[in-house]
Amino acid sequence: MPEWLNKLTRDFNTAFVVDNRWKYLLEGVQNTLILTFFALILGVALGIIIAAIRVTYDKQYHLMKKGISKFLLCIGNIISKVYLTIIRGTPAMVQILIIFFIIMASSSNKMLCGIIAFGINSGAYVAEIIRGGIMSIDEGQTEAGRSLGFNYVQTMIFIILPQTFKSILPALANEFIVLLKETAIAGYVGVTDLTRGANIIRGITYQSFWPLLAIAAVYLVMVMFFTWLVGILERRLRKNER
Amino acid sequence: MKDNVIIKTADLCKYYNNGAIKALDGITAGITKGEVVVIIGPSGSGKSTYLRSLNLLEAPTSGEIIFEDVEITDPKVNINLHRQKMGMVFQQFNLFPHMTVLKNLTIAPIKLLKMSKDEATEKAMALLGRVGLADRAEAYPSQLSGGQKQRVAIVRALMMSPDVMLFDEPTSALDPEMVGEVLDVMKELANMGMTMVVVTHEMGFAREVADRVIFMCDGKIVEEGTPDDIFTNPQDPRAKQFLQSIL
Repeated sequence: MPEWLNKLTRDFNTAFVVDNRWKYLLEGVQNTLILTFFALILGVALGIIIAAIRVTYDKQYHLMKKGISKFLLCIGNIISKVYLTIIRGTPAMVQILIIFFIIMASSSNKMLCGIIAFGINSGAYVAEIIRGGIMSIDEGQTEAGRSLGFNYVQTMIFIILPQTFKSILPALANEFIVLLKETAIAGYVGVTDLTRGANIIRGITYQSFWPLLAIAAVYLVMVMFFTWLVGILERRLRKNER
Repeated sequence: MKDNVIIKTADLCKYYNNGAIKALDGITAGITKGEVVVIIGPSGSGKSTYLRSLNLLEAPTSGEIIFEDVEITDPKVNINLHRQKMGMVFQQFNLFPHMTVLKNLTIAPIKLLKMSKDEATEKAMALLGRVGLADRAEAYPSQLSGGQKQRVAIVRALMMSPDVMLFDEPTSALDPEMVGEVLDVMKELANMGMTMVVVTHEMGFAREVADRVIFMCDGKIVEEGTPDDIFTNPQDPRAKQFLQSIL
């Protein structure tokens, strides 16, 4: 066996097999998936609320009578716009540091902090995906619903949102994939995600080659898997429409 | 209802750009129960705007609309309840693409009139049979031809048992060979005594079915009368010119 191959095998052994170091990566994968999944749920919830406020403001504000609900909608719209501007205008890394070390500095549950940080970040992007989806539905659909006697909320629930959901599902799934990769920075604030797992191994073994290549491969496989899932989903939705 | 007038508009105006554009410029008109009124006029004359403001899809700038003795332009009125009584058919059909034909027809009566699912289905199938589409109940709108879509759209409006039907250029988006099947359904509806307000370019339909023809131009009613009066002996020069150019 040539010497370089020998060295690679030895290094592989040191990186993953000795002391069961591969467990760092396994734990990392788990945490990355948990973090991504719950952050996306929080993000979608936030996104729906923000999108609802923004769309209602755009479509209904000029028709509303003066009163408390019009005032609340106006305030809600301002808050939403500030939220979107701040989240989309600052680096995710900075947002996460702020949440960990300023806003939630007293919390010891790092995973929860991570979910909240990434959820708030993702919410801004999801909100714009949903808003774009609602806006892309032909105005005639709203008119047809309203002319039958449905009110604004009923028209949204029965007619607009089901159509929106179909059209934005690929974009939402894509957001999930983006989020999955973005959680790699969670390690900087102590969440033991996949990237952090590799860094721990690097710290113990003083080697970078195998741990870094390994996590790159794991990320790639996960992304390819979810892309494949999204593809299946898209095809099934399209079939339904015909 | 006073004198059987089902819809009355008084000095109805719709301005854009703070009055620079007057889509509707003081329309006063009444539609009597059982009457078929056809509105004609050159494009941009405000006829669609007028029709769409009758159920407040278009909010008028000023003036009032009285529907079945209720002033629906009053902001305190719950317009959703009154819209249930005014069926509307659109140029672009606007069927709900994510629902089957049957679901398109039954969703409004089930959700709004609290009709049972069985009752709504029965009614839908009966009406679909009338327009010759009973076998397409489980199809999606994308599987229908334009003429079929519009017939379904008419049935969707009829499902709410409206007191008046508003038609906004119902045949303008159709291939020529499909215009007839939609007009036939509308004729049948007229023969059954339905009150109808129709914006259309189908002069043959206007002549044959209308009780009254309204000619609009520049947001105003320029001339109105029986189809005979309007088509054979128009008085206003703009009406004369318009009819010459299309007949």
